[in-house]
Amino acid sequence: MVANRVEKGRDMPTPTRAWLVGLIAWVVPGAGHLMQGRWLRGALAGGAVWVMFFLGLWLGGHMYAVGGQSGFAALLQLLPMIANVGVGFLYFVCWIANAGFAEHAQIVTYEYGNTFLLVAGLLNYLVMLDAFDIAAGRKR
Amino acid sequence: MRHVLWMAVFAALTAVVFGSAQKGSDRQRLMYGLKVFGEFILVAFLLGWILYFIPFR
Repeated sequence: MVANRVEKGRDMPTPTRAWLVGLIAWVVPGAGHLMQGRWLRGALAGGAVWVMFFLGLWLGGHMYAVGGQSGFAALLQLLPMIANVGVGFLYFVCWIANAGFAEHAQIVTYEYGNTFLLVAGLLNYLVMLDAFDIAAGRKR
Repeated sequence: MRHVLWMAVFAALTAVVFGSAQKGSDRQRLMYGLKVFGEFILVAFLLGWILYFIPFR
C-alpha cells in the first residue's frame, strides 16, 4: 500500500512552483517555508541557519572559495565551498564584500567557526529540500 | 567550558533543523529534535572520554 503511494507520487509531475520555492528557500534561508505559510517551521529552521552562520563568522571561522589554486588544491577547496554556498545570498554578499574569507587560525574558536559555517550551509540544503517537498505535495 | 558551550549550541541548532524537517506531528518533531540533541551531547561526551585515554604524545 505504501509502495503504491510512492509509485503514484513518482508519476506525478513536480509543479513549477515547487522549483521556485526550492530556489527561494536556498537563496534566503527559511523563506521557502515562510512563503508557504509555514511560519513556525520557517522561523525555527531558517532562524537556526541564520544564527549558525553569523555565530560561525563571530567565532572566527572562514568560508571557502575556489580561486587562485589549480588541480588538486582547487578540488580540496571545492567541497567545503559547496557546503558554504548552501547559505545562499549570505555567501555571495560576503564574497562581494570580501568578508569572512580570511583565515584567523590564532583564534581559539576558529575551528568551531569553520564548522558552524559549513554546517549552516548543509543544513540550509536540508531546509530547502523540505520546502521543496512541501510545495510539491510530498510532505505536509 | 567554552568548548562544551559551543558544542551544545551546535547540537541545539542542528537539532532544531533536523526536528523541523522531520515528518509527523508537531509532538513527534519535538521529540525527534530533543532526541537528536541528546544524542549529539551523549556522543560528544563519549568521544571526549575515549580520546582522553588515548595518548597522543
